[in-house]
Amino acid sequence: MLSIETHGLSHSYPNSASGLKDIDLAVPQGSIYGFLGPNGAGKSTLLRVLLGLIRRQRGSVSLLGKPFDTQRIAILREVGSLIETPSLYEHLTARENLALLREIYRVPQTWISDTLHLVGLADSADKRVGQFSLGMKQRLGIAIAVLHRPALLILDEPTNGLDPNGTIEMRELLKKLHRERETTILVSSHVLAEMERLITHVGILAGGRLRFQGTLDALRGAEDARCCVTLRTDDDEHAIATIIEEQPNARRHAHGITLPALAHEQMARLNRRLVERGIGVYELGRRERDLEALFMEYIQ
Amino acid sequence: MSDFPAAFRCEWRKTKRSLGLWLVVVGAFFTPAIVTIARLINHAQLPALYAMDSFWSALWKSSWESMAVFFLPMAAILMTGLIGQLEFKNNGWKQVHTLPLGRSTLFFAKLAVILVLMALFLLLFDVGIYLSAIVPWLILHAFAYPQAPLPLDAFSQQTMLYFVDCLPIVAAQYLLSLHFRNFLVPIGTGFMAWVAALAALSWKFGYLVPYAYTLFDYLQGSANARVAAPLIDVHLLAAAYALAFVVGGYVLFIARRQKG
Repeated sequence: MLSIETHGLSHSYPNSASGLKDIDLAVPQGSIYGFLGPNGAGKSTLLRVLLGLIRRQRGSVSLLGKPFDTQRIAILREVGSLIETPSLYEHLTARENLALLREIYRVPQTWISDTLHLVGLADSADKRVGQFSLGMKQRLGIAIAVLHRPALLILDEPTNGLDPNGTIEMRELLKKLHRERETTILVSSHVLAEMERLITHVGILAGGRLRFQGTLDALRGAEDARCCVTLRTDDDEHAIATIIEEQPNARRHAHGITLPALAHEQMARLNRRLVERGIGVYELGRRERDLEALFMEYIQ
Repeated sequence: MSDFPAAFRCEWRKTKRSLGLWLVVVGAFFTPAIVTIARLINHAQLPALYAMDSFWSALWKSSWESMAVFFLPMAAILMTGLIGQLEFKNNGWKQVHTLPLGRSTLFFAKLAVILVLMALFLLLFDVGIYLSAIVPWLILHAFAYPQAPLPLDAFSQQTMLYFVDCLPIVAAQYLLSLHFRNFLVPIGTGFMAWVAALAALSWKFGYLVPYAYTLFDYLQGSANARVAAPLIDVHLLAAAYALAFVVGGYVLFIARRQKG
């Protein structure tokens, strides 16, 4: 089942060339879906459209299996969100900020303390939000989003402005929510390295279009076909002569030899042959490309 | 609208420690506090004053002078702006619009809170007027408690009419506060409208200025005030303007393309 599904979703701002074009988003239930894209790609716009903050011009949106247009209120009961900077009433305390929402969601009083504890703000519960640091505000923003234990969490750049420690804490918090409450999480970011450690699924948005969508493994798998093996020996000249008998596309470079992707058993056989011919192999491996390299390839 | 009570409680909680709520409390007791202090300073005149048959109506009239002309319109302008703009100030509209509430509920819950605060402002002011009579008597004890009966019904009725008179100001300011992010726009517009109302008092169509009704209400009974006589009941006009501004504000609120 899909927690978020859009078909042909389009939106453009007046007097602007940028916008969303025919987005078919499919966020599986139980996933942590990372929504990647450069600044200005339309990530925030898409998330705002999903939440009904911006009126879309074309296409359909379904959240949690229900059409947004006709069941907006029922859907929003089960959705938590944090769009860019948190919405906090700075003259109120953290507890009072959550108490506002408790009125609407009608959740037990104890959930306020539980949520503050979850995000690590239990000790600052009765402090005015105006005195909070940026990191604390961001955590309170998450607390507001998860107070009613939503089935779906939509977060736009939740680690914005956080220091490295805060970023790690936020990532662990989201993982915990996903693990313990089985919350589906759609999270946008341009901090790619951070996302790689968090997400199960990925969507890449660039120029208002969805360039890739699938599991993180599928993204890496698609890249495997184009991945290459690198090799370094104590005698590259003889090594290339040996390799080229089986792998005509092998190339020798200043810092070793590269050849197209090989299966694990092929790599083992290649290593045996080189050693049998008296060539010392001191590096043999597949060159893994990180998410950033893949991402850059998709957006260019 | 079945969620209206919850939405109202949510909006009410937001006023806690807010500048809007402080304005209501401090603004309501400001004139009575000045009256009290003035009486304590000029205590020699109090025995004769407290013995007058018209003690309460004279106190009522003098207290309402600054209130009707200045403090009530200003309170309506400032308090509506402060409460109406809480979301802009705290970056809160995007959160409010993702709550499981209808847009109408959101609009009317906040408006209801502002109206309750206005009513509270007037109620506290009336209490303040009473205290401005009682406190000098309690402190000085040099004269008798006013013998004239307190005309509670008449005062309540007049307070309710002043509440109706300020409704167009509240409704217009609410419309502006929800529509413009910049706090200066509603406040500046409100202030200019109040100045326009003052300037138009002696104009024969001055009663058509929607910010003028608290002024008209007070000055109509005054013999030496240069106020043109309205051709229509100003309270009815005030209610009609308020309704029109509320409808206009609601349409703009619903039709807003970007909601946060």
